[in-house]
Amino acid sequence: MKKELPKIDEHNFPIIYKHLSYFIKDEVAKAGLKSVVLGLSGGVDSTVACYIAANALGKDSVTALLMPYENSSKASLEDALKTVGLLGISHYVIDITKQINEYFGNKKNSAGKDEIRVRKGNKMARERMAVLYDYSYKLKSLVLGTSNKSELLLGYGTIYGDMASALNPIGDIYKTQIYQLAKHLGVPESIIQKPPSADLWAGQSDETELGFTYEAADSIMYLLIDKIYKPEVVVSLGYDENLVNRIYDKIKKSQYKRRMPLIAKISERTINIDFRYLRDWS
Amino acid sequence: MHAINILLAQINPHIGDLRKNIEKHLRLIKKAKKEGAGLVIFPELSLTGYFLKDSVYDMGVNIDSEEASIFKPLYKASLDLNVSVIAGFVEKDENYNFYNSSFCISKGKIINVHRKVYLPTYGMFEELRYFKPGGGFSIFDMAGVKASILTCEDVWHLSSSYIAVNKGAHIIIVNSASPARGIMTGLNKFTSIKMWEELLSVIAFYYRSYVIYVNRVGYEDGIGFSGGSCIFSPSGEMERGMNYLEEGTMKVGINLDLLNNERFKTPLIRDENLNLTLKEIEGILNKDKEIIK
Repeated sequence: MKKELPKIDEHNFPIIYKHLSYFIKDEVAKAGLKSVVLGLSGGVDSTVACYIAANALGKDSVTALLMPYENSSKASLEDALKTVGLLGISHYVIDITKQINEYFGNKKNSAGKDEIRVRKGNKMARERMAVLYDYSYKLKSLVLGTSNKSELLLGYGTIYGDMASALNPIGDIYKTQIYQLAKHLGVPESIIQKPPSADLWAGQSDETELGFTYEAADSIMYLLIDKIYKPEVVVSLGYDENLVNRIYDKIKKSQYKRRMPLIAKISERTINIDFRYLRDWS
Repeated sequence: MHAINILLAQINPHIGDLRKNIEKHLRLIKKAKKEGAGLVIFPELSLTGYFLKDSVYDMGVNIDSEEASIFKPLYKASLDLNVSVIAGFVEKDENYNFYNSSFCISKGKIINVHRKVYLPTYGMFEELRYFKPGGGFSIFDMAGVKASILTCEDVWHLSSSYIAVNKGAHIIIVNSASPARGIMTGLNKFTSIKMWEELLSVIAFYYRSYVIYVNRVGYEDGIGFSGGSCIFSPSGEMERGMNYLEEGTMKVGINLDLLNNERFKTPLIRDENLNLTLKEIEGILNKDKEIIK
């Protein structure tokens, strides 16, 4: 039993909710600010982050940016607007179609269809990041991250795109647990029920692209990461060897996305190597 | 009845800001006086914050030097208000070693300093990178009650409380900076809190002592400290506990008549065979020596 990914249930939900809310409140105050801004896609992750932020700071201190592209899911935009309405927070709709299309132009690209799709997707994620950081300055608000632990570990995100933020309340919570958290927060069913998607192109699905379900991956990652079991030990517990290795490989290969850029050490004291202070230092 | 009142100060220290923290301590010392407590206990490193990293270097104070004058307002408050104070700070010795220390100030003077012995250096912790381990556990007289301070990880080594109690401690004061971590299906608190509460209960029961736990709250780079400061009676029960994750204070009473009662009914400390323990430990150490040879 202890080897199973813990569930967020009615027993532990209150303290988790309190903890994540206080985290936002405390860290925002330490930055000398009062509010946050986040990208709200209408998916479960950003919705959960938004609910927690509204609880932590009050509805007047949370701003949601809805940043659709021309082929973004209309249903998701509706869901995002629903969350904005339910929480009573302020929001802006900023269509990013123009700048993305302007950059890529209409000329035929020699690259394959898949490659241009990924490049476009990355560009959208970074465009949204750039808009968020502009609003961060404009609204004197910290950018709230909305990446969950599963996608951070698998590297299923765009570096300096959706992975960029000042604070992330849900980065240590697996996707499977995000759904449980969403239920206890009272997130609308339409948001909980839809299949997970980065929505970077029409019909995109996380689980199709990854080739496995979050549920399968999360139970394995819980053992590999949280419990520090070696892959062979996880396999010995009855998990599929091929899947365990694939997941472990993805985690290793995406480590660069989770770290600051490497700096060539040349002086006696180098940033992030032996110049060691908390970010909360000041 | 032999009783004393103690105020537990579950605070969120300002990271790396000695002056702000001293002000915070002074406010709570006044509060202790107001509420009729003769002692106020603050968490581990309450005057500096916990994950100091390289700022350990800036926080160190040699209490036998001019540097210690920064603490004068605390000494003065303890004298003027007749409230003793246990607080945590970064201590620097004459050879420039740093310690994770806690002092007890009473009537304007430092009457005890505990240097944390067991410095966790695994997982998220890196204390041994910066601090030198303390050399032992001492007991001191707190308004007629014999007390010993154990800091956080010290308590996770059962030998620490064994030593303190057999040296004569009636109250074990545990000051800590314990991060909230671990969730479990069906459990309404963090698993780290569960481990702590079980451990403290065992120590109180089997060492027939009062155990007072003062843990901090607040966040440092995303790591949240769990709070939940509490008092366990010598019967092993949690008499009262504070909220998790929230700043606050709680006044608790120590009644030595109850300790007397528990130690009479179950005289585990009286029956402890220190000679046997000594012999066995010598055996263990000698065997190690033989292996080394």
